[in-house]
Amino acid sequence: MKAFRTISLTFVCLVLGIMIAWQYSSVKINQVLAQYEKEDVNQLIDELLMEKKNNENLKARLQELQREVDAFKNTERGDQQYIEELKQAVLNARIMAGLETVKGEGLVITLKAGGLIPVEDRHIEELINELKASDVQAISVNDERIVAMSEIRNAGEYIMINARQLVPPYTIKAIGDADKMESSLNLLAGVLDKFEYYEFEVDIKREKNVIIPAVRDIPIDMLTPVEQ
Amino acid sequence: MNKGHRGMLFLIFILFGILVSMQFRSIVRSDSDETISIRELAAELEYERAEKARLIEQLNNLEAEREQLLKNIGERLNNNEIDWLLRTRNSEFFKAGLTPVKGKGIVIVMEDAPEIGELRVEEYIIHDYDINEILDELKANGAQAISVNGERVVTTTKPVCAGPTIIVNNNRYPPPYVIQAIGDPDILYEAINSMPTVAFMRLTGIRIDVSKSEEIVIDRYHPYKSLNEMFKDMEVVKGEGF
Repeated sequence: MKAFRTISLTFVCLVLGIMIAWQYSSVKINQVLAQYEKEDVNQLIDELLMEKKNNENLKARLQELQREVDAFKNTERGDQQYIEELKQAVLNARIMAGLETVKGEGLVITLKAGGLIPVEDRHIEELINELKASDVQAISVNDERIVAMSEIRNAGEYIMINARQLVPPYTIKAIGDADKMESSLNLLAGVLDKFEYYEFEVDIKREKNVIIPAVRDIPIDMLTPVEQ
Repeated sequence: MNKGHRGMLFLIFILFGILVSMQFRSIVRSDSDETISIRELAAELEYERAEKARLIEQLNNLEAEREQLLKNIGERLNNNEIDWLLRTRNSEFFKAGLTPVKGKGIVIVMEDAPEIGELRVEEYIIHDYDINEILDELKANGAQAISVNGERVVTTTKPVCAGPTIIVNNNRYPPPYVIQAIGDPDILYEAINSMPTVAFMRLTGIRIDVSKSEEIVIDRYHPYKSLNEMFKDMEVVKGEGF
């Protein structure tokens, strides 16, 4: 009888020990899992926000297109109205391509070296990237309009943009939501903090009438349009 | 029965009971909170993507309808000014990247290194600045049209943003990353292959295949956003009569 009791007690203690060990490892694994899932959740939320914004924009674009189509469908309209619609479409495409000189509210940023580090292509590019991230509508550097095929590169003491040599100080003009652009430049550990570390002299001015000139030329001699 | 033994057994069983219930709760919880919110998010994302596909189809249909209507108007009205505007519209859309184009050029296919060696993990992965540097090199060497995974690079295209996937024109693409560029194939080929960045990436096992092509077709940019909205804060200074 005594032996039985000892054996059963031993058994219960053994099971208890195994369970404690199991519990411990399971809690640990759950913690690790939760960490992974947290990363996944953040990524999913980012992705979801991006697609929601896309769909919102798409709906607005669809409405705009529907209006255009309705206008072209209406056979009772006179030639003059078609002409107006077409002019607007051509103008929008020209603005998008950078072929029109434009005017609007925005920022004028001047940038030059203050210490030993010169202002290089990547610094200008970083600045432009930040502006693009805040939905800038037109940009120029020393009056060279930044368009789809504009390169920004170092060439000795200069920076080449649109195959033109530009010398410092660099003046970057941007038309768009000035608040949004400024706050994105001023982010903690953002572009401006970095520039301060490089000892650049930076001046940012907000202006009502920033004028950004058109691009000189968009070469298309190697392109053939494809019938849609 | 020994009293001491009983008391001990009692204690042991209480502990046992608590442990069983804790274990059970921990399993149930891990299956509910986080997992379900992930499932919900994934389902919502799935829905938004389906919605996007539907909207894009509508967009393409409307755009096709508009082009057809414009053609009809041109034929029906026989008005010189309208004919001229239609021609101008074609040429300006062409320059803005709103027309699909073809021409000679190069194709670059990039993929992360298949295995990690002795260097830091980051050295075996393609970064956004690598892609952006390649794009800049192409532009500087006279590329006239570029696409990244089929997305046309236009004035409003933001710099490519890379993680395990890349985002171009607000759409996400997994590797391999395919860059197409129309321009002089010899010049572009030479330029990309002599980039130090490319040489270093190849050294770590990142795949970068560059090939010349006699005919590359690059799709037009599909604006997913209202053009009036995109440029709403600007006015044209001295238009050429448009």
